Amino acid sequence: MPFVDYYQTLGVDKKADEKEIKNAYRKLARKYHPDLNPNDKEAQKKFQELNEANEVLSDPEKRKKYDQYGKDWQYSEEFEKARQSRANAGRQEGEWFSGGGDGFSDFFESMFGSGSGFGGGGRQARFRGQDYQAEVRLTLREAYETHKRTLTVNGRNIRINVPAGIENGQTIKIAGHGGPGSNGGPNGDLYITFAIETDERFRRAGNDLHLKADLDLYTAVLGGELVTDTMNGKVKLNIKPETQNGSVVRLKGKGFPVYKQEGQFGDLYVTLNVKIPTNLTEHQKMLFTELSKS
Amino acid sequence: MENSQLIAIQTFCSSYNVEYSFIESLQRNGMIETVVVSETQFLHIPQLRKIERMIRLHHELDINLEGIEAIHTLLERIDVMEKEMTALKNRLRFFEPGL
Repeated sequence: MPFVDYYQTLGVDKKADEKEIKNAYRKLARKYHPDLNPNDKEAQKKFQELNEANEVLSDPEKRKKYDQYGKDWQYSEEFEKARQSRANAGRQEGEWFSGGGDGFSDFFESMFGSGSGFGGGGRQARFRGQDYQAEVRLTLREAYETHKRTLTVNGRNIRINVPAGIENGQTIKIAGHGGPGSNGGPNGDLYITFAIETDERFRRAGNDLHLKADLDLYTAVLGGELVTDTMNGKVKLNIKPETQNGSVVRLKGKGFPVYKQEGQFGDLYVTLNVKIPTNLTEHQKMLFTELSKS
Repeated sequence: MENSQLIAIQTFCSSYNVEYSFIESLQRNGMIETVVVSETQFLHIPQLRKIERMIRLHHELDINLEGIEAIHTLLERIDVMEKEMTALKNRLRFFEPGL
C-alpha cells in the first residue's frame, strides 16, 4: 500500500504548527466539501483525503507517530501489531457504491486503526449516513413498463420498483439504503439515476413517441390502409387519398405512459415516408408518362 | 406530540448534539420553518436534509449563518438548473439520438 504524504495533501510544511494545519484544512475543506460539490466524486475523494490528513496532523500523538514511522511504517513492530489486530477485527466501514472506498486509506488504517469519523471535531452527534448514488440503464422498452429490478449496492441486493414512464436522467430516492448513520443516526438514502438508451425505431419527446413509417406511392395517391408498429403491438392506419410525403398521423394514447399516472399515455406521431417505386417496367414507365401529360 | 412529519426541536437538538440557539437562529433568519403545537416547537421532517447540511457547513467548515444562507440559495439554484439541463438534453436527444 502506498505511503500517503499528509503534509502534501494539506499543502503545508513539515514544520507547520497547529494553526497553520487548521487553516490549510479549513481552506481546502471549503473547496472540496461534498455539500458544496454535489455529485462530484472527485471532490468527495479529495475531501476524504483531506480529512484523513487532518485527522493525523491535527492530533499531536498521531502526528508524532506519523512523523516517526510514516514512510517506514511496515518496519515498526507497533504498527504491525495494530495491523494484525485490525485484520482480526474485520472491516466494518461501509463503502461508497460509487466506488469511493472507505473513509480512510489502507495506509491510515494500518497505522491508526479504523477512523472515528470525519468532521465534527470529536462531537458525538448522531448524523445520518452518507447518501449513495447509483445509475441504472434501461432500454426504452423497459422504461415503457412498470417492472421490478434487483440492484446490488455494497454487496446488498435491493429490489426496486421501476415505474413506467421514467425519464432519462430522472433520479428516484430509496430511503434508508445509503450508508450507515454515525453514533446511532439513521441510514443515508440511495439515489438512483436512470439512463434510458435511445431506441432505433421510436423517439421519445416527453410522453409522446415519434415513428417513421414507409408508405408506398400507390396507397399514398389512392388511399388505403397501412399497418404500423406501436410500443404494444401493431395498428392499422387509414390513409387518405393524396397523402403527401412527410404527413404526420397522430395516434392518440399510443405514446409513452405518463409517469405515476396509471392508465394515462402520450400520443404516437407517425411520419409517413412515401416510397417512390423503383425498377419500373416499360409498361409502368409508359403509364407514368401518360399521367404526367394529363 | 410527534408524528411522522414532525420532530420536536428539543429531540432534534439532543439527537444531533446541536445547540437549540443554532436552530432558533436558522428560523429567525427565515432559513427554516418551524411549527408550534401545544407550545412545543417542531421541525418538518422533510426539512431535515437541508438542516443537516446547514449544521455540517457550520460545524465542519466554520461558515456563519449569512454564508450558509448564500450557499443554500446557490445550491438550490444549481439543483433547478441541473433539472432544466436534463430536460433540455432529453429534448436534444430527440434530434440527435446519439447524445
